[in-house]
This record gives sequence, structure tokens and C-alpha cells, in this order.
Amino acid sequence: MSEGREIPVAVYAAQFDSLAEPVAVDAGELIVDAARRGGVQIQQPCGGQGRCGRCAVRVESGRVRRRSLLRLSPTDLAAGYALACQTVVEGDIAIVVPPPERIERRLTTDHVAPEVAVPEGYDAGRSQSVRRVVLRLVPPSMDDQRDDWARLETTLRRAAGVERLQASLEQVRGLGAVLRASGWEVAVTFDTGREQDDAARLIRVQGAAEAAGRPLCGLAVDIGTTTVTAWLADLATGRVLQQAAEYNQQISRGEDVISRIIYAGKGAGGAELRDLVLDTINGLVAAACGQAGVDPDDVVKATVSGNSTMMHLLLGIPPESIRREPFVTAMNHLPLLRAGEVGIAMHSDGVVDPLPGVASYVGADITAGALAAGLHAAPQTTLFIDVGTNGETVLGSAEWLVACACSAGPAFEGAGIEHGMRADRGAIEEVWIDGRTYEPTCRVIGRARARGICGSGLISLVAEMFLTGILDKAGRIDATLGTPRVRTGPHGAEYVVAWAGETESGEDVVITTVDIDNLVRAKAAIYAGFTVLADATGVSLDSVDRILIGGSFGKYINVEKAIEIGLFPDKPWDRFDYLGNTSVRGAYLALLDREARAEIARIASAMTYIELSADNSFYEAFTSALFLPHTDLSRFPSVAAATTNGG
Amino acid sequence: MPVEIPKDSWPGAVNTVTLGATGDQGGSRTSTVTIGGERSLPFMHFESPMPHRPAIAMEIAPARPADWSAVLLEAWGATADDPGSWARACEEAGADLILLQFGLKGSGDEPVSADFAVAAVKAVLGSTGLPLVVVGPGQAEVDNSILVPIADATKGERLVLGLCEEGNYRTLVAAAMANDHLVLGKTPMDVNLAKQLNILMSDMGLGRDRVVMDPTTAALGYGIEYGYSVMERLRLAALQGDGMTQFPILVTPGAEAWKAKESKVGEGTPAEWGEWRQRGMNWEALTAVSLVEAGAHVVVLRHPESLRRVRAAIDELMASETA
Repeated sequence: MSEGREIPVAVYAAQFDSLAEPVAVDAGELIVDAARRGGVQIQQPCGGQGRCGRCAVRVESGRVRRRSLLRLSPTDLAAGYALACQTVVEGDIAIVVPPPERIERRLTTDHVAPEVAVPEGYDAGRSQSVRRVVLRLVPPSMDDQRDDWARLETTLRRAAGVERLQASLEQVRGLGAVLRASGWEVAVTFDTGREQDDAARLIRVQGAAEAAGRPLCGLAVDIGTTTVTAWLADLATGRVLQQAAEYNQQISRGEDVISRIIYAGKGAGGAELRDLVLDTINGLVAAACGQAGVDPDDVVKATVSGNSTMMHLLLGIPPESIRREPFVTAMNHLPLLRAGEVGIAMHSDGVVDPLPGVASYVGADITAGALAAGLHAAPQTTLFIDVGTNGETVLGSAEWLVACACSAGPAFEGAGIEHGMRADRGAIEEVWIDGRTYEPTCRVIGRARARGICGSGLISLVAEMFLTGILDKAGRIDATLGTPRVRTGPHGAEYVVAWAGETESGEDVVITTVDIDNLVRAKAAIYAGFTVLADATGVSLDSVDRILIGGSFGKYINVEKAIEIGLFPDKPWDRFDYLGNTSVRGAYLALLDREARAEIARIASAMTYIELSADNSFYEAFTSALFLPHTDLSRFPSVAAATTNGG
Repeated sequence: MPVEIPKDSWPGAVNTVTLGATGDQGGSRTSTVTIGGERSLPFMHFESPMPHRPAIAMEIAPARPADWSAVLLEAWGATADDPGSWARACEEAGADLILLQFGLKGSGDEPVSADFAVAAVKAVLGSTGLPLVVVGPGQAEVDNSILVPIADATKGERLVLGLCEEGNYRTLVAAAMANDHLVLGKTPMDVNLAKQLNILMSDMGLGRDRVVMDPTTAALGYGIEYGYSVMERLRLAALQGDGMTQFPILVTPGAEAWKAKESKVGEGTPAEWGEWRQRGMNWEALTAVSLVEAGAHVVVLRHPESLRRVRAAIDELMASETA
């Protein structure tokens, strides 16, 4: 703006909602420039390059020209949204600048996991295998000398139609005292089993008065190689009362399943690993129960999901054969177990239901995940990718299902990364980098001070570093950029994501060359897994209708950035759905509904497992994916376009 | 019954690359070597004539090498004491070009220095008119410390500078581009890794006529089939039109073959292994000819007799063009 200009071009008035007076704008000026002059703050994390979409504003009236429609959905456009850094003023306009957190939720590339909801029409009486009934028993007399057990069984048969009831010696030992102390009025909790004609298992007999008003709870547990998750649910309403997750303590004895199996084979290693995972689970149970105000004795049922190795280790079954050709498990379809014998700190006579797996490397986490993802009922070909330590992938539909697994490592769960962490409060979950200054803008979970970087943050960070030229296609940091953010650390070159003054620990949060290598290897394994699976089944990824993503990313993953680093196939964003932790969701569904539990067993029986190590096609696909986004750039046309235009 | 030989026609071609520059072209070489340009698999003359013959480079060192076989040092005699005289002897023996291989040591026990390296390169350029490939010891930092000064000191010569690897390619490519040289990219025996390095170098704006790649090979009996297969797949991808695999290939059968026990060990070997001196040369020549057939554009040799034998084999393979 030059004051001495005599013949102005057209001058328009831009009215921002937060200002009393309009700002004078030259024709063709950008909205951001007008805003700046008027003192209106509009965030531009990507430096005004139209990449991040965070500067979207709503044009209420007046003429503008949008140079870029990137990041705006048709709905956004219809509502008048425009990117302030990419939109020029062509008339008098009125602008509303939304608060930044509203923009965050509205972005088209952000895929947020659905909130957990009680399955529609959940009716504990019909679906739940656990029941509690109050019985008034006729006390024994000289005329009626039936034994205590027969008295209980007969009354239960009449009241609840239970034909056969099983109990442990311990339960029989305690029975007489409870019956007499309660005045022959008791609440009986039992599990009716998986099948219609299964004998019921007695869980608990307590005085009716004592039981009144106490909840009946269950646990859905997912034992991941890296992260263990437990949900505490009220079995009567189906509602999830509390969710808790923590790193699997077994990590200290090996990061992947193979090293855990080897460890389990040495001396007391198996027992130690069992103790470690039980400590992890029981810590979560205690935390969840504590927060929900539930007595762990009122937790009477647990469904347990997890890969086959995790299941073996939890149950103390030697997993050695999983690792050795021909790679078989001890048992894929396990029977119902007693909590006390498993070691889970809930009611010791509660029922533990280990969900069924398919094979050594496709376990219950995937069958339960397939159920939660609805893969078994998908009308069209669907790809389900579990972005976790074991990189399982399932391809198929209601008609057929094939699965494979590959070792991706724990990077996506934030483990094995210098400043990695779980998707929890204080985790950096999204990063934008200004392509000129190399300065980052971070979004931190819970709006707290940064503590570390979680999986989705790592994906976002590496994608931004790549797009802004901090990383080359081999994932190497360019040390010649002249920014203090890039420096040499103990592990070679590193990039400072947050300075000490911005973090909770008071230390810089960095990403190192080693971290980036780990992440690139992890994404290459997963990409290779599903491409080889698609090749092996003769299905083109183009014909895949929907791509479902499971993983412990917390609530959120940015699909676009995951495509930019070559983790996901380069398909339209709206074909992706992020489902969160599908394994624990599947376990939760099975906890509530015996029909869902039966469906998981059907999925396990119907799923075909493909062994990737059978030939070298996986290795070939893996090395070609060890590049950003991929050695064959023609597979990633959108990334090719973004990198050539931006460069 | 006449048999019709099916002919493949490919959409892609190997890049044509000229090594060395004459006085007119800004350098000081009396001859240049042009390689590549093929539009078919090696020596399939009936499909598409091979525009250029595979070239033979002789490997020399800046000082008499301590770790070479006595058989080799005996063959070169006193010429191997000095890089200039050694290069001249190679030219006289019929080499197409020279490859000067630096180690971690310079003169005596001193670590190799930029001054030492530049002097050695100048000595070679001064004593022969052949194009020159200069290769560092293969440690990124040391390579950069000598190759950048060499590139600056020999501007315009179209030397081939190596080894360009994932860790140091930026420095080397920049030095080559600034001084009108070529680079030699080296990757561990894998098609994807070779292609990835080519992409990284090309992303810096290095021309397609300035890259030669060494996808790594092994000697006969030590995994040559893997090296052969990688070269074959690179050529197939190149012919199918994958631009990032279309760079001509340089391989080092001499260095590989003379590392093999069969070449190195003269005593205590079974009688049926035959005479030691012949065995070493056989090993080198057989390895080299196999790699020429796999599609090598430059083979780097060590023994003058191997040079003669490989030359004869190439002559025969090229002669079938007219058959």
C-alpha cells in the first residue's frame, strides 16, 4: 500500500466479524493480507502455501476468487469457506474467522475414530451370556433333606431355565455358609456359555441383600505387542464405563513377537512374560475400576483379544512352535477359562473368554477387528489394515477373507522412538511446517505442554518434513538448510519439534534420523503387506471399495499425510475410514453379545491366512517401499503432484 | 522349415553417457568413451544394434598397493610404483579408460589427504589421454574430503567421481555438477536400492548423461548369480521405460575376483585346481565376461592378460552383430 498513489486500482471494503470497521483492500489482494492489516489473527501453520487448510474462513457475502480448493469439501464450499492464504478479494466482502479449534475438526483429511456406542438395541436379557437372578430357596427341614447344591440347582432351573450348572470345589465349599447367612435368599451369577446347550458356569452366589444395587461388569481386553487396552463395561446397560491403555510391560523383554517367543523359551522367561502382561492388565483393571467406582469383584466376565503370541504368553502356553516352521499355534479356539486360573484381578470365578485366532500370525485381534470393522458383512471388496506392531492386513468381503501379517515394529504406537509416546495427554498428534522458515506448528492432545510425539504425530511430522524438503526421499535430514531446528545430536542429524521452553519435561522434543528410519521401515512393511496380499489374491487395489484403518493412534489419523509418506495407498480420502482400536472394539462387542462372539468364531474359521515369507515377493515389495513415498512414484500420483508443485 | 526368431521391441533405452572430455570439449583427454544407448538386452543385435561396445577400465592405485596379489604386482612390475607410469602402462596394454582407486592411506602411513589425492589424479591425467574414473575409499566423509578438491582441480574433464552413496550423494553430486563431471553411484546388490539412489541424485538436477551406476557384483563362486540377476532386472526395467534404472552400469570384477581364495592362494590348494597364476586370470576373465553378458557397460579389471582375454570375448560378442 503506497500512500502517494493517485489512481488506486479498485479498492474494496472487507468486513471481518471481529472488527468494528471494514479494512480497505486492493483488488486482487489476499484475504490473509487484509486480515493482517486489520489486526485479525489468522493462523497459517504451513506458511501460507495452501497446504494445511488451517486458515479457512467463511465468506458471508461478496466476491472472492479461490486459487486453490485443496482442503475444502463441497459442503465447505457451499457454506462459503475459503482458504485465506489462497483467496483474493474481488469486491466488498464480509468475512467470519472461525476459532481455530472449529477448523481442526472440520478438515476433510482428518479421520476421527467413531465414539464408542452401545450396540443399537442392546438387550442384556437376550444377548448377554452372564446373568444374575435372585432366588428364594426353601430352607431344608426334616421333611426336605435335599443337599444345598440340589436345592440351588432346582430353584435356578425353575427360575431361569438352567438345565446344568457347573461349579468348582471352592464354590461348593463356600455355598452352605452363604445360603444360611443370607436366610436362603441369594443372588446367583452365572454364565450360560457360548453355545445354547452348554452347561452354565456358576460365577458367584451372594446374599440377595448384598447384591442389590451392585453392578455387573465385564472387561474387554486387547493385548497388543506394544499397547494393552482394557475397557470396563456395565453388562446390564452395555455402556463403557472406563477405557484405559498402557504400554505392554513385556516390551522390556523384546519389541516384537519373535523376540518375546525366544525370551519365553529361556528358563523362566515364559513365566516372567506372563507376569509382566498380567501386571499390565491388572494395573489397567485397577485403574479403570478405581475411576469408575467399581469393585473388581463385580467384574465377572472378560473377553480377551490379542495376537496369537500374546494369547499364548498370557495363558502360559509355550509359544515356541509359532516361530518355527511350519508355524503352528498350540490352540486357536480356546475354551472358556476361570479368571483365577488366568490371573486377571477380577472376580476369581469370573469367566475369561479368549477370542479365537486364525493362525500363528493372525490372531484374535484380527478376527475381533474384522468383526468390529464389519468386514465379514461388507458387500464389496474391502481392505482392513491394522497399523500396529504386527501390521496385519485383511482383504475381502462377506464372501471371502484373506489375511497376512508382517513385522512393522512398534513405531506407530510411539514406542522405540526417542520422544515417542502413546496417544495420550501431551502427545503431539499433528504437525505443520512452514516451508520457508522450517518452523513447526503442533497440535497437542489435551492442549497440554508437549511431552512427546504419538503415532499420528510421527506420520504428520515425517510427511511435513518430506514435503518441505527437510527430508529427502530416502528419509535423510538435509543438514544444509540453515535452520536451528536441524542439528546434530547423539544419533546423527535431528529436527527439533518443540524447544525445551514449550515442553513439559523442559527438554527439547526431537525426531532423530534413527526414528525416521524406524518409521520408514514400519510404513514400508505395512505397505508391502497389503500390496503383496492384493497381488497374491489377484485383486487390484483400484477395485477396493473401502479401506478401513485400525490402530492405536488415539482418536485420529490424517489420511492425507499417511498417503504422503507412503503408508496407505494413494486413493481418494473419502474411501478411508479410521476405526481406532478395532481389536478392543471387537472384544467389547463379543463381551456384550454371544451372537457377536459366535460371529468372531465364524470369521476365524472362514479367514484364509497367507504366509508372506513363502517367497521373496514381500522382501522385494518392502525394499521398494523403503522410500518416501515409494521407489515407484507412479503409485503415488497425488504425492508426485504435491512434491513437484511445492518444490 | 524356416524358423522365425521372435523379436522383442522395447519402449525404453539405456542412457548414452560419454566419459572424459577432449581439448575441444573443455577437457584434456585424447579420447573419450561413450557407453549405453541400447534398446534391447545385451548383444541381441538382431533386435536392435548395440550402439557402443562395453568398455574395459584398468584399476590402478595412487601408490603401489599392499593388498594386491603378488601375481598382479609382478605383471605390472615397477610401473605400479607411480600412478602416472601405471596409467600409461594400462593405456599401452589397451585399456579404454583408467579407474584410480584411493584407499584410506596416502603416502606412507599418512591418512589420505586432499593434496595427495589431487596430485595423484593430476599425475594420471598428465601421463595418459584416457578418460578417468576416480573412486574414494568408500567412507562418506573421507570420500567427500578428497573428491571435492579433485572435482575442483579438474573442472571440465568429465571424470567419473565415486562412490556416491545414500549418505554422501548431496556433496558429490553438487561437486560434479559445479565442475562438469560425472558421478558413480554405488548400492548394495538390490534393484530398488539402485533405483532409489538414482532418484535422489536426479532430484538434485543431475543430468541423465552424468550418472553411471555400480549395483555391486560378486566374483564367480561368491554370489555372481545375484549380481547378474540384479543387472538383468535393472536392464529389463530400463527397457520397459523406467527412467530411474536407465543408467549405464560399471562393475568391478577385477577387485572381486582377486579377493577370491582361488585367485589369492598359491599354496596348499588341491592339484586339480591347476596352476595358480592361470587360475587367478581365469577367475577374473570369467567373472568379467559373465558380467559383460549380463549387461555391464564398463568392467574394471586388474591383470593385463585378463584385459586381453575380455577384449577378445567382447570382440566376438560384438562380431555376432554381422552374423
